[in-house]
Order: sequence, then C-alpha cells, then structure tokens
Amino acid sequence: MQEISRRVTLQALVAAALGAPGLASAQAAGKVNFIGWSAAVDQIKAHIAAFERDTGVLVNYENFPFAQFRTALVTRLVGNAPIDVAWISDAWLPEFAEAGWLADIEDMPNLKRYGSETAAYCNQSMTYKGKQYGLSYYGDHMSFMYNTEVLQKAGISTPPETWDQVVEQCLKIKAAGIMEYPLLLSLGADTWLIEFVSALAFSFGGSFVDDKGDSIMGAANGGAVAAARWLHDAIHKHRILAPGAVETVELNGLRAFGSGAHAFTIEPTYRIRSLNDAAQATAHGKIRLAMMPKGGPRGTHDTCGWIRFYGMTPAAKADRARRERTVKFIEYFGGRDTKGEYSLQERLLLDVGLPSCALPLAEDTEVKTFWTRWAGGGEIVARQSMAARKKDVISPWFGEWVETSNQAWQSVCLGRATPEAALGALGNKWNELKRAFR
Amino acid sequence: MRLRLSYDDRSAAILVFPVLAVLLVVAAYPILYSFWVSLHDIVLTRPLRRPFVWFENYERMLGDARFHTAVLRTTVYTVVTVTVTTVLAVGVALFLNESFRGNKLLNALLLLPWATPSIVNGLMWKWIYDPTYGLMNALLVKLGLLDSYRAWLGDPDLTLFLISNAAIWKQMPLAALLLLVTMKAIPDDLYRAAKVDGATVFQRFVHVTLPALKPGLMLVLVYETMISIRHFDLFLIMTQGGPGDASYTLSWLIYVETFRSLRFGTGAALSYLLAMLTFLLSWLVIRALGERNA
Repeated sequence: MQEISRRVTLQALVAAALGAPGLASAQAAGKVNFIGWSAAVDQIKAHIAAFERDTGVLVNYENFPFAQFRTALVTRLVGNAPIDVAWISDAWLPEFAEAGWLADIEDMPNLKRYGSETAAYCNQSMTYKGKQYGLSYYGDHMSFMYNTEVLQKAGISTPPETWDQVVEQCLKIKAAGIMEYPLLLSLGADTWLIEFVSALAFSFGGSFVDDKGDSIMGAANGGAVAAARWLHDAIHKHRILAPGAVETVELNGLRAFGSGAHAFTIEPTYRIRSLNDAAQATAHGKIRLAMMPKGGPRGTHDTCGWIRFYGMTPAAKADRARRERTVKFIEYFGGRDTKGEYSLQERLLLDVGLPSCALPLAEDTEVKTFWTRWAGGGEIVARQSMAARKKDVISPWFGEWVETSNQAWQSVCLGRATPEAALGALGNKWNELKRAFR
Repeated sequence: MRLRLSYDDRSAAILVFPVLAVLLVVAAYPILYSFWVSLHDIVLTRPLRRPFVWFENYERMLGDARFHTAVLRTTVYTVVTVTVTTVLAVGVALFLNESFRGNKLLNALLLLPWATPSIVNGLMWKWIYDPTYGLMNALLVKLGLLDSYRAWLGDPDLTLFLISNAAIWKQMPLAALLLLVTMKAIPDDLYRAAKVDGATVFQRFVHVTLPALKPGLMLVLVYETMISIRHFDLFLIMTQGGPGDASYTLSWLIYVETFRSLRFGTGAALSYLLAMLTFLLSWLVIRALGERNA
C-alpha cells in the first residue's frame, strides 16, 4: 500500500476545508432557502415534501426558536446569508423593509392576486408604505376566553360584556370560594406582552399613537392609561389577578388556564384548540370564547390582531431563477397549491389551530367543523376577527421601543409607577426613537 | 541597529509564535475591534449607516437612566453575593478542615452545586420559587410560615436577593475549596503556640487563621467579584431583567442593547464600561488586601 506523506495529508485537509463552503453552496444552488421558527415543524416538512414532489423545486429548511428568531435572522441578513424566503412577523416589517432586507411583491401578479382572497387586516399587516411584502403564513388575534364550569358553579349565566363586569363576576367567584384569582393574564416580559396590552388598550377605545404616529399613550384620559389603571386595580384593589402575573409568560399562562385554576383569560385564538383538547388540558371542553370586553365609556370590542407572513429577500428577487423558485414556494405555502387548494393553511388550522387569513377557507366544511368542535362554533371567532386591529406601534423602531414598553407595563402592575407616569415616560421614549430615526 | 538573536531566542520565538498568533486572532483583535465598534453608532437594523461618533455612545449610556438603575442593581447584587459567598465559604472551609468521619465524602458532595451547569441551576431555582408548584411555597406553607403561595420572583423587593441566593448556592463550593486549600497550608505549630499562650478558639481564628487566609481570601474575593459583576445566565433564565426593572443589571442591559435592540455600538460601549468597572473593583480588592498582607 502506498504511504501517504504528511504533506499530502495536510494538502488534502486544506483542500477539503477550502472546498467545503463551495460544496455547501453548490448543494444550496437550485434550492429555495427557507427559514422559519420552530412551529408546526411536522406540517411544514410534510408540505415541503409535497412542494418538492409537485414542482421539482428543492427546499433547504432551517428553523430556530421564536425567542431567538429575530436576532438570528437579522445577523444572517446582515451577513448576506443565502436566504430566499423567511417567516416574518408584522412587527418587523417596517424595520426590515427600511433595512432593505425584504422585497415587495407589487410586480408579482402570481402573488398579488391573493389580495382579494385575504382578510383586510392581514393585507394591511403585510403592507408598508403602500407596498405589499408577502403572503400570509397565518393571522390571529387576542381572544377573551372563559371557563364555563367555573361560571356555572358561581351561578353566572353569561360571560362578561365589559371589563367592569369582569371585575363583578370575578368578585362573585372569589366570594363563592371557588378560586382566589379568577382572572389570569400573562404579563411576563416575553414577546406576547405587547399583544396583550394592545388588546386591552384597544378594548378601552385607546391607541398608543395618533394618525401621525406621535405618542398619545400617556394621555391622562386615553384608553391606554385607562387600561393600565384597570390592570393595576385588578391586582391591587380587587385582587382578582395574581401579583405573580408579571412573572407569567404566555406559555405558562396557557398551562395554568388549561388546568382549570382560573375563570377568565386572554389568549391567542389558536390556543383554543389545545385548551379544549383532552390530551393537553384538564379543563378541556369547558373553555369558550367571548367578545373582548369593553372598557370604560369609550369601550369597544376591538382586539389586537397580528399576522406572520412569507417574505422574500431582495437577493432572491434580483436573480431570475431564484425569484421564480421563491415565488412558486410562497404561492404554494401562503396561497393555493398546484391543485388550487389552501392545503397548508387548512392543515395548520386543523392540526395546530392556527387561523388563516384566506377568506375562502371560512366556507370550508372541515374548517366549520373544526370551530364547532374546539370553540363551540365559529361565530365569535369571525366577529372578533372583524374587530381585530393591527398594533399601532409597529414602526422601524418597534424592536427597541418594546423593551421599554414591557418594563413600563410591569411597573404599573407592580404598583411601582402610576399609569400616567409609566406610559408618559414610555411615550417620551417613543418620540425620542422616532426623532432619532429621521 | 540590527537585533541579534541567539539560536535559543529564535527557537523560543518560533515556538511561541503560533500561540501568540492564535491569541492575537481570538483575543486581541476582538478586543480592539469591539472598541472600534463602540465608537460607531451601529444599529444592525439600519445596515446602510454606521457613523463614527467618537465617545458619544459612552456619553449617552452614562446619562441613561437605565444605566444608573443597572449600576445600582449590579452593585447590590455583587455586594450581597460576594459577601455571603465568602462568609459561608469560610465557615464551610473551617468545618471541612476538621478531621471527622465522612470528611472526604462531604468534600466530594460539596462540589455538586458547583458542577451543576448554570442553566440547570437557574431552572432548578426558578422551579423552587415558582408561585404555583414551587418547593419553597410548599415548604413554608407546610411549616405554617406562610398563609398562601407567593410569587417570589414577581416581588421586585426580593427578586435580586433570590437570584443572588441561587448564585451563592452554585459559587460557594468553589470558594470554600479554595479557602480550604489555603487553610491546609497553615502550619499546626502556629495553632499549638496560640493554644500554649491561652488563645481561645475565636482568638485563634482571628489571629492565626484569618491572617494566613488572606491570599486565599483575596483570590476568592477577586474571582467572585468578577463573576458576580458580569453574571448573566441566572437573570436570563429566572427573570429576564424583571419584574419591571427589579433585576436590570449591567449584563442584562448589555444583552438587551446588543441582542434585542441590536444596537451594537452602545452594546460595545457598555461592555467596555463593565470591563473597566470590573478591573477597578478587582484592583481595589487586590490593593486593600494585598497591602495589608505585605
């Protein structure tokens, strides 16, 4: 056997090291590079397999936990990593579009045509400065949920219509000795907190910013301050909400509510499926939806809606072959598949509970059966969806501002700051970031 | 003038060069580059602009209310953690320095918390403090010391001390071991002489053990200060800087500024400020103890 010298071995190793990235790029060539967060992974993988079979286009799929996703995606985009399409949150759209990391789809008729079949707030949420930036992955809103068994035990026949009634019913439940804290709100400083407080502020007829985008969140008679005051009173005055709510992140809140230890909560609508699933929640079959209670004299049933969508990178758009593959991918995943069906969107709803932005799906028999089975009917979901509003704080500086926002709301809940002072300071931070952005 | 190197010098230089090169690439370059970054207004989400701003990032952070809060929280956390860790470590080291049955087993068991990964330690204490199923609540209620379960980490007056407790649990064993090693080196003659002079146990501790422990104490104090001042993992796992700003330390502020707000310029500036603070504190400890030791 011929002896291999050290020099030859070293040369081979160096060649392999230098050749490896080239090999990886060669493998990536001709594929759609797609990045998402670690959600519905099985459904996405199955749909990728179907896409590859139906179109002959291969897909590189990577996923990261949602908590780290924005940072991971941004660092990759800054480093010019070969990304064609990624899941994007509506909250990131302005900053990503301003940074030049997302390409609009205005000149892509294959994708634009879905606008007429998409719920209005979903279209609005994918649009920045008049241009649409993708097709939806899913769209949802915050829903008010209640435990029918608890209400029944307390002799309450109908769920509350207003936040004042929420207090009354909670006090009644407490007085009956059924539970100490009938209301559960996940006010831990995680990514969901802004959606919770936005829903609350909207239901008090409030907004965080005016039409010009200037802060009105600290206005003494504004809905945001009223909502913050209500939260403070719920914890410190009425004692219907546990002080530990500031420690409860959404997932823990979901588990606690699913255990049947609380009467009312606010959760993303898609959680209704797991809450009524015997395999996942003790209180299964007892959780129902009601319209978001109205707060104060200017109260509405409005809630906070959000969407996640498939966004294309400018690099993918600039190259003809990549663009064609990516458009095919986005249509197959965010629109109709090659059979003309919204197969993924339907699968995501039926398997995971993720509501779709696609209007035609509302008439689908399986979808109707889904809502009947898991939510006792789709009427409330449809009505609440019509009253869903995009977060008005979505802006290029949202990512920086939201950290301060979480702290401000928690300070109010802890009784460390008055609603006026906390939200006033938060408004100042908003204006400061807005000025700095110009 | 031409530098003449002997064969030995050249050989040494050649042998040291690879290590030096690696150090330059993995240590010196990142340190200098991060300083360069701290002089720029770099926001990752605005990739098209990165103006050179001299020391504006430092100025902005020094005038930021969050920075002041973070310095205060870091100081409280560091003082509590280092003091309690050191006092407990001295006690444990004294105990383990005695001869008794099972001493070796105890020595080995003592290392368990230190060997526990930080993430596991954080999760374990988070569960212990949990407001619904936490062991601490269950124990205190069973003992009749508490009426109902409390959200320990949700209490802004307690949060910092509870995190400190988790840190002490993990850091104390190593500190005790370092002190024990120093203690073992104290000659028995000194104790015997003190006994002959009629010194009590307390007097022997104050006049024999403590002075001899100074090198070990200095090591423990400097090491624990450096660890505590930069502590991050427990804050990430247990409170994420909350509730409100109750556990908003300098390390947490750096994380938020760099990885959440993606402001690399101010993040780097804050890191330098933290490094300077660490050096300053360590220097003070070394000077204070070192001089007395001399």
